Amino acid sequence: MPRIVGIDLGTTNSLVAIVEDGKPRVIPGPDGSDLVPSIVYFEEDGSVLVGNPAREKMVEKPKHTIFSIKRFMGKGLTDVKNDLPLLPFEVSPASETIIRLKVFGREYTPPQISSFILRELKKNAEAALGEEIVNAVITVPAYFNDAQRQATKDAGRIAGLDVLRIVNEPTAASLAYGLQERRQGTIAVYDFGGGTFDISILKLSEGIFEVLSTNGDTHLGGDDIDEQLIRLVLSEAKLPESTPHLPAIRKAARAAKEVLSSADSTDLVVDALGYRRNITRQEFETLIAPTIERTLKSCRQALQDAGLQPSAVDEVVMVGGSTRIPLVRNRVHSLFGRTPHTDLNPDEVVALGAAVQADILAGGKRDMLLLDVTPLSLGIETMGGVMSKIIPRNSTIPASASEKFTTFVDGQTSVKVHVLQGERELVSDCRSLAQFDLKGIPPMPAGLPLIEVKFLIDADGILSVSAQEQRTGQYQSVAVKPTYGLTDEEVERMILESFEHAEADIEAREVIEARNEADRVLRATEKSVEKKEFAELPADEQVGITSAANQLRETVKLADHRAIREATERLDQATHHLAEVLMNASIAEKLKDKRVREIE
Amino acid sequence: MNYFEVFGLPKRLNLDLNSLEKSFHELSRKYHPDYFTTAPAADRQRALQMTATLNDAYRTLRHPVRRVEHLVEIEGFKPDGSKVPKSFLMEVFEINEQLDEAKSGSASKEQIAALRQEIEKRAAGFESQLQTASTEWDKLDASCASDADRKQQLTRLTEILSESSYIRNLQRELEETS
Repeated sequence: MPRIVGIDLGTTNSLVAIVEDGKPRVIPGPDGSDLVPSIVYFEEDGSVLVGNPAREKMVEKPKHTIFSIKRFMGKGLTDVKNDLPLLPFEVSPASETIIRLKVFGREYTPPQISSFILRELKKNAEAALGEEIVNAVITVPAYFNDAQRQATKDAGRIAGLDVLRIVNEPTAASLAYGLQERRQGTIAVYDFGGGTFDISILKLSEGIFEVLSTNGDTHLGGDDIDEQLIRLVLSEAKLPESTPHLPAIRKAARAAKEVLSSADSTDLVVDALGYRRNITRQEFETLIAPTIERTLKSCRQALQDAGLQPSAVDEVVMVGGSTRIPLVRNRVHSLFGRTPHTDLNPDEVVALGAAVQADILAGGKRDMLLLDVTPLSLGIETMGGVMSKIIPRNSTIPASASEKFTTFVDGQTSVKVHVLQGERELVSDCRSLAQFDLKGIPPMPAGLPLIEVKFLIDADGILSVSAQEQRTGQYQSVAVKPTYGLTDEEVERMILESFEHAEADIEAREVIEARNEADRVLRATEKSVEKKEFAELPADEQVGITSAANQLRETVKLADHRAIREATERLDQATHHLAEVLMNASIAEKLKDKRVREIE
Repeated sequence: MNYFEVFGLPKRLNLDLNSLEKSFHELSRKYHPDYFTTAPAADRQRALQMTATLNDAYRTLRHPVRRVEHLVEIEGFKPDGSKVPKSFLMEVFEINEQLDEAKSGSASKEQIAALRQEIEKRAAGFESQLQTASTEWDKLDASCASDADRKQQLTRLTEILSESSYIRNLQRELEETS
């Protein structure tokens, strides 16, 4: 099994980590620092600088230095219009369903910008581990909706990564803590980062990390606290939002904020403006108190959804850079009535947890299992613009639901379906997720066709849809068009573009990918042939499998991806029957005959 | 899809939630997609489907109201136009009006507290009715009762569900008020 890395793709900083000898560790970059600032600087020729070198350009070249791109993931223009006045970026008018930032006349979507950061992390990991890295687990805020999760997955694909799992940040953090902490009990993870806030309530029992509820705000973080200080400076210096000094003010605001976490007062200084004022921690706390209160409201809702009183929580874990603010710690302490844990570095704990999850997926840790939930209710539009919930929020994922649809007019051959996420009753108050048409319905009198649509939220929290006409048993084509985000074709095109820009050899990459797939199939085969079911197969089938496997082992050595793929396919076909036999045997053993037929 | 069978349980309404959780965890350990990342695509797909079904089943059975709704559904029971008593509807209507007042801000704290108490009292009443009717169903099911008896009991359960749904709506509205 090739290695799987864990990646924390943060608003402010990003990290990559891996489990070695059973312990997770952050992989530093060539400059020795664990954190890669989530900043991308563009040169005129389209080449980029990522991380610390890009950060140095923020004040000097604000228009070409993109930061906090995570806040734009899965969003449209109307979602971010309140942020734009304080941001130096140029946004293309064609950004209704996906933000397009213009840099030197070229347009970049948030997944593309994020892919530069991911590529940097990938490069760092490859340099440190001395091997090609293609498999990754990437974390997202627990409260990310479908579009934001999909955008993160797209970013991974564009960066040349196979994203094996999207994991929620607070849950990942709990995994990192779980290594050395208690085995039983209820824990709350309060994750207040640069751009987002999450609260998750988990129940731990015998290595199972079961999320009971989650809540949050994907637009509430350290950036909002900076913004309050920026607005203070703007009003005192009598400057408009459009001032060219904004980057310098932002830098000063951040510096002051950080100092106030340990000092009682500091000077807020913007040299370029000749601006200087003393600010006490108390003034700062009065300024940010309403922001902190919003996080506590989410905490109370999460507790209520979990059916728990604050006192029922055994441990509170603090994650994210913004939890360094003393007011945050105090308020969380008084809400839960206990001192929150701050022993792990709040900047690193999510990445460490992502590495632990990666290790679970790689088969390293079978005693741990994470059962996460979907943060938002999934529903469909019904008559009168009302949202009808079909999968409630806080349902353990994967989760599914079926809905039956019919026609309203004789001979009608298609039905429109609108899928939404959110808690409010009216469609207009919820987030549109996708629309699709159920097509190819056999012409029948109105109300007679019965189309069963199955909605499935996978372990990444991402939706897929399938449909079947009940009377004819015919499967319907479902082409889901996401309301926000990239289509599959656009992602494919961006992947190709990214190869050109990175000057990667497509041919070489194809070979690596083909080898990975071959490796996967070979390992699965090696495991299967040890089973007694293999010995029970007819002799010619056994020979067929062993010779196809041997052939593949030879072919893998060649740098010919087509040949490798063909040989892989042959082995896959040779083992098809065996796989069926094994699956049936394992099901029969585990679930007992009758129950299984129901499950299927 | 019979969710009781997913856990190897008979169609009974009184469940031991601790042992339900225990089997949920055990089955999760067997089928969760996390353990099939390196398996062939078909196995991965099957793990995903099975775990989704397991989670759907647990979510449904763990919840006392959803559990009863599911039983009624898998019994294929269609109530013949179950009637909610008019007097009950009138009462709900009245509480709803008071709620609207509270929402518009014209009610005092005491009035809201009294309203809350009123709604909670009714919710508790339905809870105990549902409990009694559930126990009754379990006895019928265990004694292999006649279809007529089963049907009668399902009718009773359905009635309680549809009446209590009005109270649940009131509870939801009250949440939004406070």
